[in-house]
Amino acid sequence: MPASRFALFMNLPTLVFLALVLAYPVAYAGYLSVHRVGLAQLRRGVFAFSGWENYGRVLTDPLFWTAIKNTLIFTAVTVGSEIVLAVMIALLINQAGIWTSRVTRFLILLPYAVPPIANGLIWTFIYSFQFGFLNRILLSTGLIHERINWAGVPDTALYAVAVPYVWRTLPFAIILVHAALQGIPRELYEQAAIDGASAWHRFWHITLPMLRQILAVILVLRTAFAFAVFEEILAITQGGPGDATWVAAWYSYKITFAPPNNFGMGSASAYILAFMIIVMAIFYMRVVYRRVTL
Amino acid sequence: MRTKSISTRMLLHAANLMVIFFILLPLAAVFIGSIQSEKALQADTRRVLPLEFTLDNFTVILSKGQQRGHIFEQITYLPDNIKNFYAACANSAIIAVSVTFLTLLFGSFSAYTISRQRYKWMLFLLQANIVARFVPAIVLMIPLYVVMRSLGQLNSLQGVIFAETGFLLPYAILILAPYFDTIPTELEEAARIDGCTRFAAFIKIVLPLATPALAACGVIVFIISWHELLIPLILNARPDFMTLPVVIASLVGDVHVFFNLMMAICLLALAPTVILVVLLQKYIVEGLAAGAVKG
Repeated sequence: MPASRFALFMNLPTLVFLALVLAYPVAYAGYLSVHRVGLAQLRRGVFAFSGWENYGRVLTDPLFWTAIKNTLIFTAVTVGSEIVLAVMIALLINQAGIWTSRVTRFLILLPYAVPPIANGLIWTFIYSFQFGFLNRILLSTGLIHERINWAGVPDTALYAVAVPYVWRTLPFAIILVHAALQGIPRELYEQAAIDGASAWHRFWHITLPMLRQILAVILVLRTAFAFAVFEEILAITQGGPGDATWVAAWYSYKITFAPPNNFGMGSASAYILAFMIIVMAIFYMRVVYRRVTL
Repeated sequence: MRTKSISTRMLLHAANLMVIFFILLPLAAVFIGSIQSEKALQADTRRVLPLEFTLDNFTVILSKGQQRGHIFEQITYLPDNIKNFYAACANSAIIAVSVTFLTLLFGSFSAYTISRQRYKWMLFLLQANIVARFVPAIVLMIPLYVVMRSLGQLNSLQGVIFAETGFLLPYAILILAPYFDTIPTELEEAARIDGCTRFAAFIKIVLPLATPALAACGVIVFIISWHELLIPLILNARPDFMTLPVVIASLVGDVHVFFNLMMAICLLALAPTVILVVLLQKYIVEGLAAGAVKG
């Protein structure tokens, strides 16, 4: 078999899957987004063309803009804190001769093993106003005197969802930073030590610049995924209280799969979300991926 | 190695303890919650560690609601989906194993050729995989629901397996391709000279050498599939086709909230992947790093 035919043969399954599970649905979502599709139309199988109507309805829906605003806040808070925490914890577990660092390094991947939906439920339990673990700990240590309804108050609800999300996704960022730390030549630090540079100086002028590219990777990947956060929202707040934690993916999900099941509008809103993420993906592919070597 | 002063060491220990506390807090909560009775939970709302422990939460789940033990004796209502625990476990296992197998098989086919042959369309394929990794599941699930519904494929295991495999293949290719780059081509060339077909050389020579990468990729794909909620939630709404995450999600917003029962089922659902992560940590770390940054 010539090389070109062999290549095609080997990639046939992947191409079929990409076509049927990715390309076709994406195209079909575009089709749905410009048609009027509700449950009644689904049963009959006839969709009337409606032009930009669905996009118009989404873009004039105040709830959609609330969801976008919440998504942006959620993304900024989670990605920002993840990058800071990932650098700090990666440096921490990189310390030689500190036995607790070895313990942390052993435990660091555990959150990755917890199913997102279970993570959400566990934190629902932790946050529970009456019976929650967090209020118990804070009350018994005297840090608070009144119970706090962490996930049930609009002011704190979005942050109450952000913490479990950071908890679950932080290991990924830590692992990437820790791997990149191993690639920094030791001589740089030795030279700096001879020159009498302080620890802060070494961090700011050696470590951080050497981590720049991996931090770019984490920034883009985590931003794209935080934009589509779903499980923790479903488990902890279901968008509430009020509309305080409606995010973009939750909006598309509810519009589509909760009555009155507007598939057209759901597809339109999902398309807007996808568009924002794909812009990031192309940026990632062109600028960030490939340039980085560990 | 520079020696650290005592105060630095103390500071580092303290920082480690804080991180360890943060990592373990939810795991302690799910564990303590699962071995506690509703009554004990409600009796004292300040105590962190309850006075009495019970295994009744597990008993009621593992006996499909038949053996209620002490704590559920007088309770007339139990969430129906609790009774589907075994079916959900079996569905989750069948789906995760099948998805892992198919993704590794087709993923290694693609990753190998992407690594060995430099056709234009292959670079395009790699780029398509990178972009595909970013497509949010919700965008795919709305049209997939409509299509599967019209094909009569809702509520079937093969529908979910098909969708998840398609969803995870791009990621698997990104993890595997850089590893194939590191395997020297001399061995397969020698095999070809000895009369092996390209395919046989790949299966017999290259694939065995790629075992570490296949292990890394396989365990990551298995974990993601075991955790996947949105795809089975939307495609499989009928109780006998639910996976574990869908059963857990169905307990959210149930008429009565049984925290302890929920913690018990969460613990049962997270145990398999926690064991995998503890045993195969090294592979997962390598796989995650490879999938994110190497081209």
